[in-house]
Amino acid sequence: MKRFVVLAAVLFALVLPALSQDWIRTGTGVGGEKIRLAVADFKIPSAEADALDKTFNAVLFNDLHQAGIFDMVSKSFYPLAAIGAPADVRLDAWGAPPPNAAMLAFGNLAVRAGTLQVQGWLFDVKNAQNPQVLAKQYRESATDENARLIAHRFADEIIFRLGGGLSGIAETKIYFISSRTGHKEVWAMDYDGAGQHPVTRLGSISLGPRVSPDNSRVAFASFFKGGPNIAMWSLELGRLVQFPSFGGTTLSPAWSSDGTRIAFSSSRSGDPEIYVCDQNGNNLKRLTAYHGPDVSPVWNPKTNAQIAWVSGRTGLPQIYIMDSDGTNVQRVTDQGYAVSPSWSPNGQFLAFAWVRHYGPGAPGASDIYLMDVASRQWVQLTHDGGRNDFPSWSPDGRHIVYQSTRGGSEQIWSMLADGSQQTQLTFTGSNSQPNWSWK
Amino acid sequence: MPLDAEIYGRREAIAPSLAVSTALHAALVVCVLFLPGVLSHGGENWGNNGSGGESGGAMSAHLVSGIPLPPNPQAKPENVLANESKGLSQSIPAPRAKEDDHAIAIPDRQTKVKPAKEKAATTISGRELPKQKPSIATPTHEQPHEMAKVDNTVPFGAGGPVAGPYTSFQSGGTAGGLKFGEGGNGTFGSRFGWYTDAVARKVHQAWQSEVSPGITSAKRVYILFDISRSGTPSNVRIEQSSGIPALDISAVRTLQRIDTFGPLPREYNGSYVSVEFWFDYRR
Amino acid sequence: MKHRKMKWTLLVLSLAAIVVIGGCKKKQVPSAPPAAPPPPQPRATLSVSPESIDRGGTATLTWSTQDATSVTIDGIGSVQPNGSQQVSPSTSTTYHLTAQGPGGYVDATARLTVVPPPATPPQAAAPEESEDALFAQSVKDIYFDYDRYDLRPGDQATIDADAAFFKAHPSIRFTIEGHCDERGSTDYNLALGDNRANAARDALIKAGVAASQIKVISYGKEKPFCSESTESCWQQNRRDHFVYGQK
Repeated sequence: MKRFVVLAAVLFALVLPALSQDWIRTGTGVGGEKIRLAVADFKIPSAEADALDKTFNAVLFNDLHQAGIFDMVSKSFYPLAAIGAPADVRLDAWGAPPPNAAMLAFGNLAVRAGTLQVQGWLFDVKNAQNPQVLAKQYRESATDENARLIAHRFADEIIFRLGGGLSGIAETKIYFISSRTGHKEVWAMDYDGAGQHPVTRLGSISLGPRVSPDNSRVAFASFFKGGPNIAMWSLELGRLVQFPSFGGTTLSPAWSSDGTRIAFSSSRSGDPEIYVCDQNGNNLKRLTAYHGPDVSPVWNPKTNAQIAWVSGRTGLPQIYIMDSDGTNVQRVTDQGYAVSPSWSPNGQFLAFAWVRHYGPGAPGASDIYLMDVASRQWVQLTHDGGRNDFPSWSPDGRHIVYQSTRGGSEQIWSMLADGSQQTQLTFTGSNSQPNWSWK
Repeated sequence: MPLDAEIYGRREAIAPSLAVSTALHAALVVCVLFLPGVLSHGGENWGNNGSGGESGGAMSAHLVSGIPLPPNPQAKPENVLANESKGLSQSIPAPRAKEDDHAIAIPDRQTKVKPAKEKAATTISGRELPKQKPSIATPTHEQPHEMAKVDNTVPFGAGGPVAGPYTSFQSGGTAGGLKFGEGGNGTFGSRFGWYTDAVARKVHQAWQSEVSPGITSAKRVYILFDISRSGTPSNVRIEQSSGIPALDISAVRTLQRIDTFGPLPREYNGSYVSVEFWFDYRR
Repeated sequence: MKHRKMKWTLLVLSLAAIVVIGGCKKKQVPSAPPAAPPPPQPRATLSVSPESIDRGGTATLTWSTQDATSVTIDGIGSVQPNGSQQVSPSTSTTYHLTAQGPGGYVDATARLTVVPPPATPPQAAAPEESEDALFAQSVKDIYFDYDRYDLRPGDQATIDADAAFFKAHPSIRFTIEGHCDERGSTDYNLALGDNRANAARDALIKAGVAASQIKVISYGKEKPFCSESTESCWQQNRRDHFVYGQK
């Protein structure tokens, strides 16, 4: 009998952690839950604005859902009456089950003389005395694109208010490489995959686009002058601008977060090494001097005092970190095939692509991993097969965009930085190497 | 035959205890091996790069907290007042799996309960997304969860609006709370409940066990700080120490690690708001 | 005694069996339910036979595609989804096929080498042309092991032969193209290709070839010679390719 009690206790101890709630997830009260947000369709006075209203509502809901900090109340739970102004709102209906919302966003939308006018409010449902958190008005010319734009702006406002001061990403862009025209060119799209359009038209092979922190230029590697060289495209002028040719195979440019320096890889010395130059290509300085391919540098965007990069000096590529003057080299991954580091905006994490068990004959599954730089603890974010590569952080540090072949062809996907809410963004052609803009 | 009889006799003597022993051993092995297969999604691994260091729950939790996302609940977060399993999770002082370095990582995952809202949300976005099991960065076998009883808990959402200037949270064995006051009537909390929620959320996310594992409990520590107009915490000072310097320092560091809470609400006229922040630490 | 031993063995075996079974079961990973399948990605293969012809000869270009609505081949134009065509180029050509379908876009390549008959003198006095021909005949590419950029011991003979050719024709300038197979990351493969090309360059210079004759360029995995996902194709792509002239 005693034996059974002991066994039961031991078994229970093993089972216990699984039964108990994870200590991060606990917290009643306001400790860690997502905010329950209801977003009512914006009221329209007439059917004229119906198409724009549909776009607006869809984009607004998606932006808030994608933000990762809200528990969106399903529209099927909303009270039936349409609301367009504060006077229409009955907080008790929204705060009670089934919606059980903590926050409510609503407003109205109208088209008057070709102008799209939107009024939006954000109400604290639990606070009957002072419910208003936000009241905004927008006015743009009445196009579908502007309906999206206003929705993005309003969503960003809500996220900024409720997300503790971190700006939303609804107006950010993703730059990537697409070969759907027959050549690999630099393309751009909204963060949610809308508005995909080409940026360059060089008729050659372009790779690894990186947009500057002020959104004025895109640096990338291009074969249009023969071998891979860094090319600089001005988004304002819509054409290439001057950037020096360093000789050798030069690729993977990376901007520091203040936009003053660019790190890149060049084999001008006969072996690919990491170099740093200023934003115009002057003041060249070499950082590494070890035999073996050194490529894909990325700055620590919080401090600009460290650079992580990929080196094949010991055989298969591994990720290393050094100070931005080239000293204090440390190895970060211990095995396998690790490439494409991306540093999180708060300076704490590296996201990268890793094949933990790489060998001849086995293409291996390449997955996106997250590593805490200080403690070297890592976690695997993607599991569902295919080759996942080129992670890039969003400026709010909550999202990662990456390329994946899980759907059969190489496409661009985005996910929350804890690996959830994986969403496909591109569908046609072959799309790769995404880069999230800085703001 | 005498030989057979002898053996047969021996068998009889050993058989029952041998059977029981085998059964217990087998059950143990089965539990250890099968349970992760049953409960986990598979493949979710916590590891370090082999250079030593504890593959500990504390460190793992530290990893996730840097990402400014609220923890992704698989099930509805339990209201401490209505927690049916409270007794179980509290009473058994289980032997810590942490001490066993060879323990197989049991990724913490509750795959059974998924909120309906999550399903609705994924389809509303217009595309049929593959139903991904969210890969939560969860700590493993460490930290057998003990829900400490806390006074001053005003459970959010259970009942009416957030009353008064108080707000609170709970994290593992630790409870904390914030009190908003300013040189005035102390109505900040009731007027700007959404802001106090955001502050509490941020503090909760930033709070990590930097405290050494040796500390098991400490008196409540009170910390005062100000939030400026732009939302940056400043003037962090210890009002009443817990008696353990390490704990005090980690509480202060929690606040210092926060860059901003977001600008103060526009309707608020003061140039800053002062916050009193307390921790009950219990491991 | 013997029976006791058997018992223990049986016990150990059964425990081992449980461990193994448990382990096996544990490895099963429930896969996430798939999304509604997008339109299937088109697939295409392109091959040319024979792969090497004399100038003036013909070769047959054969291709087949699946799930494609529009198929074009550079230099030929729009073609049927499956078919073959006689081609008779005057110089070595890489044929590039593009297949477009509702599910996306895919391409395939095949290379046809044209060897001018050594006996026939070229028309207008173009010593480069005969050099080009000689080049194609005499200079052999070098192949590499996966993720390696050092020359294999067997390649030394190739290097020596190539070096002899270049030393005998000091006016010839050429390019070493470094290539990688399709696995691995774009950027890293560009750097690896560069290392491969430079390895050959250094070996040639060591063997006495003038540095001014040599230009190095890396294509990484951007310009593969074949596109199948097989070891033989991967080995085909892991090479330094010698090309006449310096663009």
